Amino acid sequence: MKKRDILGVLGVLAVLFVLAGCEKVINLKLDNAAPQLVIYGGLSDKVENHLIMVSKTYDFTDPNRFNSVSGAKVIVRNEEGTTMEYVEVSKGVYQSPKFRGQSGKKYTLDVTYEGKIYTASSTMPVKVPLDSLTFKDFSFFGEKNTYVAANYNDPKDIQNQYRYILTVKGKIEEDAVSEDRFDDGNKAANVIFYDLNDLVRGDTIEVEFQCIDRNVYKYFYSLGQNSGAGGPPVAPANPPSNFNNKALGVFNAYSTSKKTVVIK
Amino acid sequence: MPITKRFVPLLLLFICCCQFAFSQNKFTISGIVTDSGTGETLIGASVKLTGSTTIGAGTNAYGFYSLSATEGIYELSISFIGYKTVKQSITISRNVRQNFVLSEDNQLNEVVISAEKKNDNVSSPQMGLQRINIREINNVPVLLGERDVLKTLQLLPGIKSAGEGNSGFYVRGGSTDQNLILLDEAPVYNASHLLGFFSTFNSDAIKDVSVYKGGMPAQYGGRLASVLDIKMNDGNRKDYTAEGGIGLISSRLKVEGPIVKDKGSFMISARRTYLDAFLALSPDSSINGNTLYFYDVNAKANYQLNEKNTLYLSGYFGRDKLGISEAFGFNWGNATFTLRWNHLYSDRLFSNTSLIYSNYNYVIQNFMEDNDFQVNSSIKDFNLKQDFEYSLSSSHSLKFGVNAIHHTIAPGKLTASESSSVNATTYENRKGLELAAYLSDEWAVNEKMNLAYGLRLSGFSLLGPGNFKTYDADGNTTSTTSYKAGEVVENYFNLEPRISASYQLTPSSSLKIAYTRNIQNIHLMSNSTSTSPTDLYIMNSNNVKPEIADQIAAGYFRNFSDNNYEFSAELYYKWMQNQIEYRSGTDLRGNGNVEADLLFGDGRAYGIELFLKKRFGKFNGWIGYTWSRTQRQFDAINDGKWFYAKQDRTHDLSLVGIYKAGSRWTFSSVFVYNTGNAVTYPSGKYQINGRTAFYYTEKNGYRTPAYHRLDLSATLEGKPGRKLQSSWSFGIYNVYNRHNAFSIDFKDNPDDVSTTQVVRTTLFGIIPSVTWNFKF
Repeated sequence: MKKRDILGVLGVLAVLFVLAGCEKVINLKLDNAAPQLVIYGGLSDKVENHLIMVSKTYDFTDPNRFNSVSGAKVIVRNEEGTTMEYVEVSKGVYQSPKFRGQSGKKYTLDVTYEGKIYTASSTMPVKVPLDSLTFKDFSFFGEKNTYVAANYNDPKDIQNQYRYILTVKGKIEEDAVSEDRFDDGNKAANVIFYDLNDLVRGDTIEVEFQCIDRNVYKYFYSLGQNSGAGGPPVAPANPPSNFNNKALGVFNAYSTSKKTVVIK
Repeated sequence: MPITKRFVPLLLLFICCCQFAFSQNKFTISGIVTDSGTGETLIGASVKLTGSTTIGAGTNAYGFYSLSATEGIYELSISFIGYKTVKQSITISRNVRQNFVLSEDNQLNEVVISAEKKNDNVSSPQMGLQRINIREINNVPVLLGERDVLKTLQLLPGIKSAGEGNSGFYVRGGSTDQNLILLDEAPVYNASHLLGFFSTFNSDAIKDVSVYKGGMPAQYGGRLASVLDIKMNDGNRKDYTAEGGIGLISSRLKVEGPIVKDKGSFMISARRTYLDAFLALSPDSSINGNTLYFYDVNAKANYQLNEKNTLYLSGYFGRDKLGISEAFGFNWGNATFTLRWNHLYSDRLFSNTSLIYSNYNYVIQNFMEDNDFQVNSSIKDFNLKQDFEYSLSSSHSLKFGVNAIHHTIAPGKLTASESSSVNATTYENRKGLELAAYLSDEWAVNEKMNLAYGLRLSGFSLLGPGNFKTYDADGNTTSTTSYKAGEVVENYFNLEPRISASYQLTPSSSLKIAYTRNIQNIHLMSNSTSTSPTDLYIMNSNNVKPEIADQIAAGYFRNFSDNNYEFSAELYYKWMQNQIEYRSGTDLRGNGNVEADLLFGDGRAYGIELFLKKRFGKFNGWIGYTWSRTQRQFDAINDGKWFYAKQDRTHDLSLVGIYKAGSRWTFSSVFVYNTGNAVTYPSGKYQINGRTAFYYTEKNGYRTPAYHRLDLSATLEGKPGRKLQSSWSFGIYNVYNRHNAFSIDFKDNPDDVSTTQVVRTTLFGIIPSVTWNFKF
């Protein structure tokens, strides 16, 4: 149903522009909140070194950066109680030994920092592979835009959630999620609404396709809502994290597949 | 609320007071007051009998009045603002039936907001009521020259705009869905066109607008914050006339006339916007294939069968259409029908029976290959109302009645073609029944004191069929129960006491107090910052309890200089229970389990409203100022601490000035200023997967920049005496081109992704407009 909303919003925006809307960068005095711990990362179904990033929030006016937190203890355990310790490989980046997660298993992450333990759990869903990428064109009020669509077969009678990470020319440009509420059991071609109009021959685009659990979906859905994705603007709020103790961020056990396209 | 417990016995006592017997010979004088030119009935005209005592009443919504008096000789006067007062001597020695015809007094330049009689604002026990005189509304400047009842209302204290150019409004800290909007008694669920820029009310078709901010009489119920009662024109009973207007973005036409002269009449009024006509001029097929317009039609007919029986049939139909060629279609609209029967059982007992149908629906169509679909959603009401007005004695007039509304909400039916990836799904319909009974009395206790008190008993039943889930505090399903058609899932009963009193300090000043309880059984789910046509209605259920508001208000009313100036100060405090918010990340689209995502809490609102109006003369207008607070408290939001609701505005100021220069030119201006909305802005940021995310602390802890704007307009009337009367209206919206914030967004700087920036979006800069109106 995502497409509908984006189209709806575009339609509304078009109306607004007809009525002479205008945008301007302004200065606004914002508070500087006390830094809050942010934990982001997870583990996949691939044999690899999985990463957990630990950082802190910082002031709005500061340059964007990864505000790393060193010296945290990061441990993942499975349902059987087997633990896997993540080692800090660079500031704030914690890496596991090589292993692969298993579908249907629940994993729990404990991050210990300054005497406090932050815990989150995530269950790795059954894998749905990404079959292919296709390009689609849409015209809105005289402008033709090109988008990429992720094609896959949604399994019937199972609640699935998907995450799409679009990398264009080496930079992550879109990080969006969807669910199968409206197309359960069907062949899906889900359009990623980042326009690819300026691509030239030789440019690469890559889509990482993750199957994620319900809580992780809700986290990313809410994160997207704050930036106006998926419909009219909502009152923003911190996305519902699966961590306790008020940590921000999300712990994600996911299955993954990837496709890359080189523009010809 | 303990306050209610104390009021109930008090109220019963008052009702008993009405039962006393009458010792003297009482006779009744009754009839209908109409306009001499059009035969339209006049609502709220003042009828006064002066003899050894003075007895007064106002005409009701059908122009009917009834007064009880003892035998004697009286002077009878009938007055209505904008009309010449009729005075005559009358001997009452039997029941008298007498109709009156008032003619317009063009010498008076009463402004838009009128009290019924010159000092009725002081003497009536009614508080928190404001009325708009439609005939004068075209003098107030508006966006794009489209005169609009709802936007003019927003210039009054205590009634605030829900946003730039938005016809949604907040009353005394209530949200937009807490306003009961009635068009000829039919509830209108979505009162806006074009996503809020225009209201569904075409002022050509409207006779009377009353808005109750508090102290609602007991015959109204169902919403917490306000009642907006809009009555359509009945149609000219004397002559056929046509009038209309041609504006920048829309045109209007109204035709009315007698069905049988002086017995019945009809009125049809329609308008349509033509923004899409400009799109069609484009040679580009991807532009000219788009649609964007709305239209609406108001129609009404009435017929007087005899002195005792009159029938009215009225309807409204409006639709908005938005489409992007071959990709997307979206349309929505309301339809209402009202059939009414006025019957006089006796000179004292007036009855009205209404059968009302109301429907709001929307359709979304997606034509894209592989995932085409269509969504249909609707809310449908059948409503039966029986109201009585009984003139019990010279000092008591009773109103009582019953009401039953059957709601059917179809949250969504999703259909798709065979080749679509979208599955056809139908979400379960929900049915509910609202029942209410009320009794109220307006009691002239003595020359100085008036009392209006009443009780409304309201019940709500959620009915099967369907599967109904219950949820725990985290929104997980704990059980599902199936109900058969007609089975009751949940019942709620509530008592809603209403009482208001006025005490006249001097002939031109009074003090008033009021207490009102209101219950709301149907709730609008909207988690966006503005209202959208796809917002979802839900009813009370096993999870959702009725919303409750208790309001106390006190006011001082004073008229100066022979009622030329009117001043009022009203204080209010309101407690609200079972208010609704959402968990963050709630997705309302096609959500069959929306109740799992709801949070319930309390609200409080308080403030002071000041209003000063110059009512007559070449120059008139008003100043309205409100200071207010609106807060909410939810255990699961903002760590359980009170936070400002989005409708909280600390200061709100409106200045309206109208100047009549000579016989043809009228100039007017509006200035508005209000504190920015309470909003949530980031107080920090962080990175998720290398992308910037924002950190929010206190809910609604920030304010958007203050909003202010000046509008001007000028109207040139055509030369009088011609068959075709015409006028030109020129307007400038936002004269000094203030860039008010429609939204404020936070994002990475596209030119330097290592920094973030704050972007303000302004909707309307300076906008000129011109409209040509005609009448023949």
